[in-house]
Amino acid sequence: MKNTIRVERAILNITQADLAEKVKVSRQTINAIESNKYVPSTVLALKIAKVFQKRVEEIFTLEDAD
Amino acid sequence: MQTKFLLPNKFKFWGWLIALPALALMILNVHFDFTFPFLGYAKKGLSYISFDNGFLFNIQYNNFTDEVGSVLLLVGLLMIAFSKEKDEDERISKLRLESLLWAVFVNTIFIIVSVTFFYSTLFLSIMAYNICTTLILFIIRFNLVLYFDRKNTNKGNI
Repeated sequence: MKNTIRVERAILNITQADLAEKVKVSRQTINAIESNKYVPSTVLALKIAKVFQKRVEEIFTLEDAD
Repeated sequence: MQTKFLLPNKFKFWGWLIALPALALMILNVHFDFTFPFLGYAKKGLSYISFDNGFLFNIQYNNFTDEVGSVLLLVGLLMIAFSKEKDEDERISKLRLESLLWAVFVNTIFIIVSVTFFYSTLFLSIMAYNICTTLILFIIRFNLVLYFDRKNTNKGNI
């Protein structure tokens, strides 16, 4: 699964730490999601989408390998 | 995500405070026969030696230093191992589970090797260590994973 969190963050001009604080996870978790090392739970994905005011599918998309 | 059965973060500090002295005590006890005299017990008015003395209420004489030490060590290790991190979240819970799985795997392989290669009293002392090795392996592995995780993120991007 890939995601566009890094781009969305750049648009809002917020850091990984800012986003981590908004969705109440550690900064390492945001970092791991951005570098495709960790797939977030549905709840966390929905929270992240809410911060960017977009739908989950606009931020997270399936890859062929999934 | 709420993880059941985890203690609050501050328990970790108290865990170290209990586990480290208890570990030192157990090493002294196992290798140098160190005991606290005040933990010694002998049943009064013994007229015979019973062979049925393997259970707490049948004991005729025993020094309880090793029992107290083991219980304190296990309680301390449990508190270190299963206290929440300050920034506990769903991914840390996943790392925790993976480390626990790894620790059980490695410990079981270690037991299989010990059963095969070590016999008599050497085997018994290894089994004595085995009481707490799963927890110790877990604590080492989990903290190393967290350490490298934090280090990589800190030197990485913003």
